[in-house]
Amino acid sequence: MIELKKAHIGYSEGILHCQDIQLECGNVYILVGKNGIGKSTLLKTISKQINLISGQILIDGKEVQNVSTNELPKLLSFVPVHFPQMDYVRSREFISAGRAPYTNALGRITEEDSQEIEHAISALGIESLSERFTSELSDGEKQLVAIAKSIAQKTPIILLDEPTAFLDYSNKKKVLSILKETAAVMNKCIVLSAHDIDLCLEFSSNFLVVNADSKELQLQQKPSRLGIISAAFNES
Amino acid sequence: MIISQRHKWMIFIFLLLLPIAAMVHFMSGHLDISFSNLINSLFNFDETNTNHLIAREVRIPRMFTAIIAGAGLSVAGLLMQTLFNNPLAGPYVLGINSGASLFVAFSIMTGIPFLSSDLGIITNALIGAMVFGLIISLFSEVVRSQISLLLIGIMLGSFTGAIVSMLEVSSDASELKVFTLWSLGSLSRIEFGQIPLISLVFVVGIVGSLFLIKPLNLLILGQDQARLLGLNYKRTRFIIIAITAILIGLITAFCGPIAFVGLAVPNLVRIMLKSQHHGLLIVSCAFIGGIFVLLCDALIQAMENYMLIPINVLTSIIGAPIVVLLILRKLR
Repeated sequence: MIELKKAHIGYSEGILHCQDIQLECGNVYILVGKNGIGKSTLLKTISKQINLISGQILIDGKEVQNVSTNELPKLLSFVPVHFPQMDYVRSREFISAGRAPYTNALGRITEEDSQEIEHAISALGIESLSERFTSELSDGEKQLVAIAKSIAQKTPIILLDEPTAFLDYSNKKKVLSILKETAAVMNKCIVLSAHDIDLCLEFSSNFLVVNADSKELQLQQKPSRLGIISAAFNES
Repeated sequence: MIISQRHKWMIFIFLLLLPIAAMVHFMSGHLDISFSNLINSLFNFDETNTNHLIAREVRIPRMFTAIIAGAGLSVAGLLMQTLFNNPLAGPYVLGINSGASLFVAFSIMTGIPFLSSDLGIITNALIGAMVFGLIISLFSEVVRSQISLLLIGIMLGSFTGAIVSMLEVSSDASELKVFTLWSLGSLSRIEFGQIPLISLVFVVGIVGSLFLIKPLNLLILGQDQARLLGLNYKRTRFIIIAITAILIGLITAFCGPIAFVGLAVPNLVRIMLKSQHHGLLIVSCAFIGGIFVLLCDALIQAMENYMLIPINVLTSIIGAPIVVLLILRKLR
């Protein structure tokens, strides 16, 4: 569970703020708003990559600022917009990096770790990709591998920065339905930013909308397409 | 990270090739000294036997130096490349060597006796490598672009080169000669008696890097992802720079600056192994680096009757085209 309490988010000057918002496990939250309004910044703040300006962010009841570097990766995983460019890393190896928070100082993969890795691979149905180099995968396949890494990480919270950005229509649908199922079956709290509002409406009824005028983040449940667009983009 | 059967075979082959390369190196000197002299000079040393003396005082230290220099530079290069997430990073390109050179130039040309002793030169090379390692890592915080970092490294090199030239102009002839010879690079400066101390420092560096396998494997995913997976980035960076400085400082102090080994070997090793498992990469870099410098130096020894080639010159002649090929391969 993520709780935002009167949080002001941004770099030196605040760009985005909110009243109290609670994000529950079992749901997928779609974060929408104009370009440059601070969606990525919000996700990075929740994942402690950027400091909060004021207010509080709690994950599982603990203030993000006070969660240690060792503990954070067991609570929260983050899928960035761009898949890292790497030579000679096989998908399975990339997914196994999700177990790093649990392995010892030498990184030894235990029986339990390999079970989690296999489980993540089969949950996404990417057995056929697991032995391939990530540099040879298509954008859609990379996204699935990145999500599998997050699942292997076994965190109650998964944040994804525009996971559908570079995908074609069918891959967008595939990724969204996998995330929806993951949230429901594994009881995770998933937050993703996206610009495909129409498509996302088919998969989730929980929207985090950044208002274009007030720059306030609001949780809209079961919103209408028009409601989202008028708030986020100032258009009707 | 996965170690396949193929990887195990390759490590096994490297393991076999190293002693073969060492033998080639031993035999390539222009005086014919048999293999039995090598063994006898170690275990049954006879001071009056010239062959024993040459084996023990010349050939063995030089063979040892070639292995240490090749292995150390390659492992240091690998660590730099992973830390800066840049296959073209290396101790030479990033100016770490220049740092060591600058400090050694100070110690040779100031004329203070302690500084120009062996220990003084090693200490200074180490401090120089460390200081420049920290400088370049501070720059890496500010510039995220891979090319910019390389350019800054090259600028650091030019800048220190200029300062070294100033020192050279104002130093006297004997100091200048010592420094110029040092800067050409040589593998024949280590004496038999120094081998244990150097081995100790080398082993500290290599074993230290083996404890970094997990952080290095995470750094492949990029700094941000590595942090999100629990990596303490600042601490890891400091340890990597410290280990690199130990290896580079040690080698630069004794052998002078040796270019391109640290840049070319890790890239070759990655292409051969097709893996980013740093356990494999560190071990393979140590072996291939050792083999590479042994063979380069064997060639130098074999040519000695016709032409004197400094080691730094030969590694540049071989290494620079390899690096250009790597760049072309990347861009294609």
